[in-house]
Amino acid sequence: MESFNLVLNLDEIERQYPENSLDYFKDKKLCLFKACLEKYFPGVRWGIQDLLEELQLNISMCVNQSCCSGTFFQRNLITRAQFSAINERNLNEMNQVAEIVLFSCNGCYNSLLRGREFLKIPEVKKKTNKILNRLKKKGIGQNYPHKYDILENLNLKLLHDLDFLYLIRNDVLNSLKFDLKDLKVAIHYGCHYLNLSRDKRNVEDYIRNKTKLDELVTLFGGIPVDYQERESCCGWGASQLLINPKEALKITFNKLKSAESVGADFLVTPCPTCLYTLSKPEYRDKMYKWYGDKLDIPTIHLNELLAMLRGCEEERCITLRRKTPRLDEIFEIITRE
Amino acid sequence: MVEYTDSDWNWDFYKELVDDVEENKNIIQCISCGKCVGDCPATKVSNFNIRKIIRKVLRGDMSVLKDSDIWYCYLCERCKRVCPKDNINIPLLIINLRNESFKKGYGPRYNDLRKYVEMSEKFLTNGTVLEDPLEGGLPPERIEELNEICNFARIKYVFKASKNKTKEKKKKKS
Ligand code: SF4
Ligand code: SF4
Repeated sequence: MESFNLVLNLDEIERQYPENSLDYFKDKKLCLFKACLEKYFPGVRWGIQDLLEELQLNISMCVNQSCCSGTFFQRNLITRAQFSAINERNLNEMNQVAEIVLFSCNGCYNSLLRGREFLKIPEVKKKTNKILNRLKKKGIGQNYPHKYDILENLNLKLLHDLDFLYLIRNDVLNSLKFDLKDLKVAIHYGCHYLNLSRDKRNVEDYIRNKTKLDELVTLFGGIPVDYQERESCCGWGASQLLINPKEALKITFNKLKSAESVGADFLVTPCPTCLYTLSKPEYRDKMYKWYGDKLDIPTIHLNELLAMLRGCEEERCITLRRKTPRLDEIFEIITRE
Repeated sequence: MVEYTDSDWNWDFYKELVDDVEENKNIIQCISCGKCVGDCPATKVSNFNIRKIIRKVLRGDMSVLKDSDIWYCYLCERCKRVCPKDNINIPLLIINLRNESFKKGYGPRYNDLRKYVEMSEKFLTNGTVLEDPLEGGLPPERIEELNEICNFARIKYVFKASKNKTKEKKKKKS
């Protein structure tokens, strides 16, 4: 059981549907994975949901899906088997309603893949099975099934929003009302997208840059700028920001400063956790206090940007109550007729 | 200065770690090239040095479990990507070392875990780490499932600690 079996094979789709990859998704049931942080940034959800609805794709949300629990695993508050059991529970639930699951968060995406990866280890698999069997014994009735198995031949496939949007980029482009008007954009992929799935035996895969977001920004009429800290961490670091804020925010500061110093108008990322770290006003204030420079570069999630470009109303796509510096300015520039 | 002598060499610790997580055996391939250190965000802002940690593990130096260093890793997986060796998985090794450290009672400071109280509580009562998620939390019977899965996990103790704290607060108020 290889983790990448869970990842939707994009090359295959491009081969099968060279003209229009969207066709592949037309008869598929899609499910949007609920990332906890969408609560703070609802535009992250609406951005993708509105687009999928307009494209008349069959989408749903899985009511019984829980948080991916990655944050607890990373701090040793649950074991690998428990983490895998939570993942298998979610996969079982989503498998009932969908064929493809879309992710707006690098962390959730990485969690689901990692939970599966652990099942390759016989000891972890045995323990995970034990936990799931314990659940079964407690099961009563329809609404309370507790019936979860490790699904050996799972058909469900996982897909990161960025990979999806890139795959159907021409249809995305056709759905846009505005363009990026040559704005300079700093791209931040986020570690758990950037550092994922590198095949070291395949030299090309190992050393090539990941560029999908750069390409999308260019396609949307923006100019991706190269900045020194492009590949560095946002500073969240599996909750390091909560535990060692002075050190962690130094990383955040360096990143934002480096993007500002090459004249980026804003920074875009496909991950709400990175977005949270890079945009929270309280963190900006702390950075100002500790490192002496006031940073006001706006930060936007890819799905929020998509919503803006598609002409979604301000409150729905960027939820101004999040008070990120100068976001309204960017909104105003992009949506100027 | 010689950091270790031959008599310090202790394979038992290494074997223990490999017994627990088989993938850890790959760290023996480490050629100490330093690529991971050069690219590590934690190294840029603290004294964290993953090569030093690996050296200690390969020497069987269990003092590494007491080092605060192991708690500074960002689990960003950058090292895993840049390492020239095939299957060295440093973030996993770090999680494993932290686990051993917990078991031996060294663990992180209480203050560090305190930050997790609220998130643990939300997870075990809502199914998410935030209050009032976009479309409401999980139905109650599903919450039971999560609680059952997490039986005996540290997350439960963190949760219990939070409950006790709320009780104390209530007592004080009355
Ligand atoms: S990059 Fe890999 S081989 Fe080089 S020092 Fe780090 S762990 Fe060892
Ligand atoms: S995972 Fe940890 S050791 Fe590896 S580069 Fe990131 S912070 Fe450094």
